[in-house]
Amino acid sequence: MRAHGVSRAWEKAAPYILLAPFIFHITAFFGYAFARTFYFSFTEYNLFASPRWVGLQNYVDLVRNVQFGRALRNSLQFAVIVTLAQTCLALILAVVMNSRVRGIRFFRAAYYMPSVTSSVVITLIFMWLFQRGGVINYLTTKFIEYRAPIGVFIACLVVIQVLLVLRDRAGGWPASWFEPAFLLMSAVFSFVLVLALQAARIIGPNPNVEIVRTVWLNTRQTVPGWAGSLAVPRPLAAIMMLNTWTTAPTMMLLFLAGLQDIPRELYEAAAVDGAAPAAAFRHITLPGLRNVTYLVLSMGLISTLQMFDQVAIVGEQAPRESVITLAYFIYSNAFPGSAVPRIGAASAAAIVLAVFTMVLVSLQKRITRS
Amino acid sequence: MKRVKRVVTLLTAIVLTLAVAMCTGAAGADVQVRIAGFGGVDLAIVEELIAKFVQPKLKGVKAVYEPIADGYDRWLVNSLSAGTGPDLFYVDIFWSRGLFSSGAVEPLDSYIAKSKMLKTTDITTSLLNAFTYNGKVYGIPKDFNTLALFYNRDMFDVAKVPYPDESDDWNTLTDKLRKVQAGLPGVYGIALAPEYARMGPFAYAAGFSVFDAKGKSNVIGSQFREGFEFYTGLAKKGVGIMPADIGQGWGGGAFAAEKVAACLEGAWIIGFLRDQSPNLNYGATLLPKNPRTGQRGNLIFTVSWSMNAQSKHKQEAFQVLELLTSPEAQQWVLERGLALPSRQALIDNPYFKSADKEAAANYIVFRGASDGNVFPFEFAAYGDDWMTPINQVLSAVMSGEQTVDVALKEAQKRLDELMK
Repeated sequence: MRAHGVSRAWEKAAPYILLAPFIFHITAFFGYAFARTFYFSFTEYNLFASPRWVGLQNYVDLVRNVQFGRALRNSLQFAVIVTLAQTCLALILAVVMNSRVRGIRFFRAAYYMPSVTSSVVITLIFMWLFQRGGVINYLTTKFIEYRAPIGVFIACLVVIQVLLVLRDRAGGWPASWFEPAFLLMSAVFSFVLVLALQAARIIGPNPNVEIVRTVWLNTRQTVPGWAGSLAVPRPLAAIMMLNTWTTAPTMMLLFLAGLQDIPRELYEAAAVDGAAPAAAFRHITLPGLRNVTYLVLSMGLISTLQMFDQVAIVGEQAPRESVITLAYFIYSNAFPGSAVPRIGAASAAAIVLAVFTMVLVSLQKRITRS
Repeated sequence: MKRVKRVVTLLTAIVLTLAVAMCTGAAGADVQVRIAGFGGVDLAIVEELIAKFVQPKLKGVKAVYEPIADGYDRWLVNSLSAGTGPDLFYVDIFWSRGLFSSGAVEPLDSYIAKSKMLKTTDITTSLLNAFTYNGKVYGIPKDFNTLALFYNRDMFDVAKVPYPDESDDWNTLTDKLRKVQAGLPGVYGIALAPEYARMGPFAYAAGFSVFDAKGKSNVIGSQFREGFEFYTGLAKKGVGIMPADIGQGWGGGAFAAEKVAACLEGAWIIGFLRDQSPNLNYGATLLPKNPRTGQRGNLIFTVSWSMNAQSKHKQEAFQVLELLTSPEAQQWVLERGLALPSRQALIDNPYFKSADKEAAANYIVFRGASDGNVFPFEFAAYGDDWMTPINQVLSAVMSGEQTVDVALKEAQKRLDELMK
C-alpha cells in the first residue's frame, strides 16, 4: 500500500522533474530577463550605481527623441516591405522548385545557399558590391552603354516571336506565346541581327556614357524621390534588398513543405475540369498554403522588426539616421559612445519594440484569417 | 515506474556532480593579476613587456594579459559592472570620462604617493592631466599619438613637386597636392576620412575649442567653420578623396595601396606600413598651419593603465602597473618604434635623431603634441555622441549632399539637443 503511494507521487512529479531544465531555462532567460527589463524601463540605471526610480520619464523621453522616431519609421518600413517582398519571392521560388524538372535538387540547394551562409560575411560582400566603384554601379554603367544593342535585341525577339506564333495559329495549331522552340529561334535570329548591325556600324555601344557613381551607402537621400515622406533612405533600401535575398530561401523551404502537402489529385481534377494553371494556383495552391503563409508572415515580421546585424555592419559606412532600426537604437543606448550604458532608455525602447511586435503580429493574424 | 525513478535519480546525480565541480575551483599558489587591453599588435607588445620587465621582478605574483579583439569598451563596461573585471586595464581617453564618473575605476593618488618608481612629475603633464578627473589621477598614460601628414616621396619625385614641409600652410599644401594629382593620373592628392578625428586639428588651428566657458559647443561660429570649410573644400576641389570611395576602410589603407599621395594619420600607421608595403618610401611632416592665425592644431590620442576599484589585489596590481610604465619598459617600447613614451625624460633618447624613416616619422608625431593648439581626443562625458553629428555632416558635405551652411546648422541643432 505504502509503496504504491510513493510510486503514485513519483508518477505525478516525474513530468515536472523531467520538464525542470526547460522550465528553468525559460524562467531564467526569458521570464526573469523580461521582468528585469520591464522594471529597468522605469528607472535610470548605468549598470554601476543602483537603479533610481523615474516613473514614466524614459518613455516620455523616447517620444521626444528624434533618433527614436527615425528608428521607429525605419523599422516599420523595413518590416512591411521586406516581409511582403520575401514572402512573394519565397512563394514564387517554392512553386518553381516544386515543379518536376531534371536537376531540380541542385537548384533547391543553390537557392538555399544565401540562408546558410553567415549573415555577416554576406553583408560585407554586399558592401563591396554597393561601393561607388562597385559591381552594381559598373553593371548599371554597362547597361546604359549598351542600351541601343540590348533594346534592338529585345524588340527583334518580341517581333519575331509574335510573327512565328501568329503564323502557327493561323495554320490552326494551338501555339503558346512562350513556345520554347520559337523563343530559341527568335533569340538566335535576333542575336545574329544585332551582330550584323554592329558590324555595319549602324548601332553600337554609346561611347560617351557617363560612369554611374551612385552613392548607395554613405548617403541620406531617400528613394523613390516621388514618395515624399513614405520614401525609404537609400542605404536602408540596400539593406532591404540584401535581407530579402538572404531570408527568402528559408521561407521558400516552408512553402515547399506546404506545397508538397497539397494532394496532387486536386490539381488533376482541376485539369480535367479545364482549369487554367492560374486558376488552379488561385483556388487550390493559395488556400492550401494558408497556414504556412501565416507562419511565414509572422516569422518574417518578427525577424525584420528585430533586424540588427546587417544594420550594424552597413551602419559603419552609412549615416546612422539612414539605417537606424529599433533594435539598433536599443543597442546604441545600452552601449553608447560615452561608454556608460543608459539601461533605462534601452529597456524602455525594448519594451516598446516587444509591444509593437505583438500588435503587428496579431494584426497580421486577423488579416490572413479573413 | 522503476524506469522513471531511475531516470530521475540519474538526473539528480548529474546536477549534483556539476554543482560540486563548479564549487571546487582550483586554488593556485600565486596571486594572479589580470591585465586587459586590445588584441592585435598590443598582444605581442604587452606579452613581451610582461616577460621582459614585469614577471622577473615579481614574487608570488603572476601577471596575465587578456587581449580583447573587438568592442573593447563594451567588454570592459560589462565585465566591470558584473564584478568580473580585470585588475588592470586600458582606458582610452576618448571614453574615459564616463567610466571615471561611474566609480568603477580606482583613484591612484594614494598609491603614487607611496611609490618609489612612479612619480607624477616624471610623466608628461598634458598626458597625466588627460587622465585626471575631479582632481584625482585615474590612470597612468602608457603612450600617446598625434596626427602627422604622411606623404609618398616617390610620388612627389615623379610629379616633380617639392615635399610638404613644416613651413607649409593650408594654401601651399593644397597647391602641392593639386600638382601631384595632376602629374599622376589615377592618384588622388590626399585621403580624407569624414571624421572629426582627422578634421578637428584644422578647427583647432583656426582657434576653435570644443567647449566654451558655459560648457556648450559652437560649431556654427567662424572658427569651426574655417576648419570645416578647408577640410571639406579639399574634397570638393577633387584634391582629397574619402577612403570609402576607393574601397578602403581608412586613410592608411589608401596610402599603402598607393591610391593617394598623402594622408593624415598617427604613428599607428608605421607598423601597418611595415607589414603591408615595406618598400613604400614615405616621409612625415607636421600638419600645415592655418594661413590666418599661423598656428597648427592637433589631437592627442592616448590610453592609460587604470585599476579596477573592486580588485582584490590592488597592491599587486599597482606593482605591475609600476613595472609596465617603468623607464626601462618605455625605452624598450620606444626603441622598437612601437609607441611613443609618456615619460618626459625620453624626449632626449637618441632614437629620435636616427636617420631611419620610422624614427623620423615617430619624432614628428612626438613633436605634434607640443606645437600649436593641441587638445586631447575627449569630449567630456559625451564621448562618441559628441562626434556623431559632426561626422555625419562631414560625410554629407564631402559627398556633395549638403551645403556647409545647412550641414553646420544641422550639427549645431543635434549638439544642442545632446547638451540640453
